[in-house]
Amino acid sequence: MKISLDWISDFVNLEGVPPEELAERLTLATAEVEQIHILRRFTQGVVVGRIIACEALHGPGEQRLHRVEVDCGSQRYQSVCGAPNVRVGLVSAFAPAGVSLAGGTLITEQTIAGCRSEGILCSAAELGMSHWHEGVLEIPNSVLLGTPLDALVPVEDVLIEIDNKSLTHRPDLWGHYGFAREISVILDRPLKPLASYDLSEFQSLPGYPLEVESFQDCPCYGCLDLRFRAGVPSPLWMQRRLHALGQRTFNLAVDVTNYVMWELGQPTHAFDGDRLRKIRVAPMGKESGFVTLDGQERRMLPDDLLIWNESEPVALAGIMGGLHSEVSLDTTHVLLESANFRADRVRRTSLRLDLRTEAAQRFEKSQPPGNVITAVGRILQCLILSGETFEALSKFTLAGDPDSYHRPLLVEWEQVDRMAGVAVPREEARRILTGLGFQVATRDGLLELGIPPHRSRRDLSIPADIVEEILRLYGYGRIEPRLPIAPLRHLPVNESLQREHRTRRVLAGAHQFIEVQNYIWFDSRWLQELSWQPQECLRLRNPPSQHNGCLRTTLVPNLLALVRPNRTHCDSFRLFEISRVFGNAEEGQHERTFLAGVTYQPSRADAEEHVRVIRSALDDLGVSLCGKGFGFEPCSEDVSPWQKRGVSLVIHGDAGPIGGIGLLTGKILKTVVPDGQVVWFELDLEAVPIVVHPAIKFAQLPVYPGSWQDFSLLWDSDRGFAALEAVLNAFRHPLVSRRDFVYRFKGKGLPPGKSSYTFRYHLAAADHTLSAEEIDAFRSEFLRHLESHGIALR
Amino acid sequence: MEEILQQLEADLAKAKTLPEVEQLRVKYLGRKGSITLLAKNTDFSRLSPDEKRSFGQRLNALKNRAEEAIQEAQQRLAQQGASLGMVWSGADLSLPSSDRRFGAMHPISLIQRELEEIFQGMGFRVLSGYEVETEYYNFDALNIPPDHPARDMQDTFWLDDGRLLRTHTSANQVRALERYGAPIRAIFPGRCFRNEAIDASHENTFYQLEGLLVDRDISVAHLIGVMKTLLSAVFHREVTVRLRPGFFPFVEPGFELDVQCLICGGNGCATCKRSGWIELIPCGLVHPRVLEFGRVDTRIFSGFAFGMGLTRMAMMKFGIPDIRLFNSGDIRFYEQFPVSM
Repeated sequence: MKISLDWISDFVNLEGVPPEELAERLTLATAEVEQIHILRRFTQGVVVGRIIACEALHGPGEQRLHRVEVDCGSQRYQSVCGAPNVRVGLVSAFAPAGVSLAGGTLITEQTIAGCRSEGILCSAAELGMSHWHEGVLEIPNSVLLGTPLDALVPVEDVLIEIDNKSLTHRPDLWGHYGFAREISVILDRPLKPLASYDLSEFQSLPGYPLEVESFQDCPCYGCLDLRFRAGVPSPLWMQRRLHALGQRTFNLAVDVTNYVMWELGQPTHAFDGDRLRKIRVAPMGKESGFVTLDGQERRMLPDDLLIWNESEPVALAGIMGGLHSEVSLDTTHVLLESANFRADRVRRTSLRLDLRTEAAQRFEKSQPPGNVITAVGRILQCLILSGETFEALSKFTLAGDPDSYHRPLLVEWEQVDRMAGVAVPREEARRILTGLGFQVATRDGLLELGIPPHRSRRDLSIPADIVEEILRLYGYGRIEPRLPIAPLRHLPVNESLQREHRTRRVLAGAHQFIEVQNYIWFDSRWLQELSWQPQECLRLRNPPSQHNGCLRTTLVPNLLALVRPNRTHCDSFRLFEISRVFGNAEEGQHERTFLAGVTYQPSRADAEEHVRVIRSALDDLGVSLCGKGFGFEPCSEDVSPWQKRGVSLVIHGDAGPIGGIGLLTGKILKTVVPDGQVVWFELDLEAVPIVVHPAIKFAQLPVYPGSWQDFSLLWDSDRGFAALEAVLNAFRHPLVSRRDFVYRFKGKGLPPGKSSYTFRYHLAAADHTLSAEEIDAFRSEFLRHLESHGIALR
Repeated sequence: MEEILQQLEADLAKAKTLPEVEQLRVKYLGRKGSITLLAKNTDFSRLSPDEKRSFGQRLNALKNRAEEAIQEAQQRLAQQGASLGMVWSGADLSLPSSDRRFGAMHPISLIQRELEEIFQGMGFRVLSGYEVETEYYNFDALNIPPDHPARDMQDTFWLDDGRLLRTHTSANQVRALERYGAPIRAIFPGRCFRNEAIDASHENTFYQLEGLLVDRDISVAHLIGVMKTLLSAVFHREVTVRLRPGFFPFVEPGFELDVQCLICGGNGCATCKRSGWIELIPCGLVHPRVLEFGRVDTRIFSGFAFGMGLTRMAMMKFGIPDIRLFNSGDIRFYEQFPVSM
């Protein structure tokens, strides 16, 4: 929304206030100023003139050219004009040779199509008034010919552009008068009242036939049947202001309704009165088409609210009029509509039709119903200011509740001070509220307020709202910052965050992992490539794209998608992600934090080593989170294309499986990356208990030396390490203080199908040095255990 | 023989590094070295015993002198090396380090952790919330009217089951109040989602950090004081802040908090779009209706809430020009944020 300081000056004296200062103070007290525009018009040297002769030029490429003679009072000029609206009798703006126009064009005498041209008739764009250049400016007949245009359209205006986002709750600020009111309080200068015509004068006339069927969507509808010269040009003061705001001008009837909208915020509509007999406000009722006045056929839904002439739709309520009831050049009979439409209804329809008109934008902000009456009074006043006469054919006919009274509210002074944190001077608070239009009375520490009808109910209804009104104009900058005082309290640790942070420290801090974040949804195209679908997932009704409708149930696929692009600039890498996954909620929330990773190395050799390295990271993670490593067991079935029997392990926590780790092989490996080796893992982080402060117990350092004993065991390669480890775990002996796996040997010299696994045992006793007999006893006991499991030494 | 020795000494004088000396040793004394070959290629059987003895002595003397010369050269160069900070033990310790153990953290993790620590230092507890939320906590309980545009499909991602992806961490306010009651001092960092078209400065997925403080007689003055203290900690220097009106249904009064531009000090530059101020934190006193939704007695308690854009803070702090990088999965981006927590 732009506000013109030229216009504001109608209501508040801005003398001596630089626009920059005004903009700054508006930002701090009312709404955010985005920019200050200086509007420079090129009206100097241009004069008002009437076309007294107009002759079409015929010739190739000259279809639209006319030779015209322009009477500018003391002087007449010849010119050639290509505007579509050029006609005898039209009063317009004439720029004689020597005048500079917008864009630096210097007007010179020249010959066009064989005709002498001593200057040009100007469009609003050529005068720098706006960007409209569909035709030459149309000026009311009443203006004296020869009048210098800059006397009517000053060379300069300043426009302050306000961020619309900061006006969503302030329907009153969608018009200049609302801003004038704010500025009058900000500057502490008087606000001139908005002169308005008294509608009660028409009370004795008959009412206009009006029926509102949907008060839910149209709380208040008013109309007035009028006779006036609707099709004539509006006065220049009106045109120049509308132009300054980028509003196109048409004729008096349309311009005056737009003018009052820009002044008050209330949109109104002028219908061609001859085309209407009875107004009905009702929903469309069925799916159908409707042609709006921009000539477009619009698809309407049953709920859309329309204005009907009896059974024929004539306007899209609060958004745009219809083509067939538009005011034209010759219209002298106008039905003026001033109504209030429900914000949500207007928004839904205008959004769907992508028809974000000025009117729709204003109704979306919940215009106060009281403006229905004020706007009509103001329109009539503006007709008078335009020098036009009018005749009312009906009384101002109103259906619904205009709600135009001050709403009472009691506020304790003490509450104001308490919320501010400073004592706000009473007199100043009273001045601010009065200036904003409140009725203010004080009694026994209470503020008895009447909230003005121009302020929305949504915005102002409770004492806190009033405190805001006072403080923003008192100045937040005048409030001295203070820190609250609170008793000392123990802050409990957030265990789930602690878990995430520790995971990051272990993986990124010690194991070369890089943390990434992926989107919360799957990409169905990628899942298809992976030949995998989640069994069930949470679905988005309006996904960001048709492929992203499903929320992740596992983090692995999106991570796998990162391997190929990163491989082009990185030899080997380890990635991890901590993120939420979503199950289909049976009851309440079903959202869990998962950890997953993928690692890539260029060679396909040494797969076991690759997995072992990643497992050691997970071992460290387990120790960091809960003081011990996870359990790993071979995965006995194909769970997913990445978690397959034989090349993956199930990760176990205390209460069962919590995740998996594995190697990509076969088709999925080819899909993920053309060469190299990929290991993935994933685990339910929330299933890992976190020990925030682990109970670490010191063990006495050994006093007596121990003995290291190495054993190389022959074991079926097929059965794997985990099964062998289970056998060794089953052997318990008091002297064993430690067991390390040293290496595995496969190859020459071993019985077929066997591998050799070397373990190193440390034997020790706390109270003496071991004797050779003790060690021998251990060896024979251990070998017996091995033998009972069919294990021979190498 | 004397010629060989002279040649060796000349070569050694030219050698500048230990490996070069080693090469010379091989050249003269190695298995195929010229001195070794001198002995090998001599047919001793054709020499008389005296000749043999004399030749052997001269050869030994040559070998000894050659070895001495090489040792000398080695010592000379080792001393030079030591004075350059190297210790010679056959390995070049000045080779660069290899195989670093650090990976990298996501920039959001870094900034979130930093802010958590600052807030914990000020007595705020850190709470987690849900990414899939109910309409009630995301909108209704925050006093957002049923017909508010934010609830539209154009702004909010809705689930088939009627729930939604939370559009702001404010969704946690009433959950926290219900669970912990007043007084409370808490922050809720987390990921939020809005149905926006993605470009360099817009994402449908981003991070926020919401703060909530409810206690007796909390005022606008407290809000300003806490924000100023907090931001000074975030930016590691005294900052100037200002409040101006801002409208959010869940606060009253509502503010936009601006911080004086840290780049130009308020004089106006490209970063602050010549205004001298940077819009940073929407905030306000918690709307009484929100407190009531959280079952807080509004006759006793009041409070303030604020929302920080974690993604935006990270962009400002690290100078990241394009928001799309956060979810890009590109290692070259993440690698720039080494572990520092």
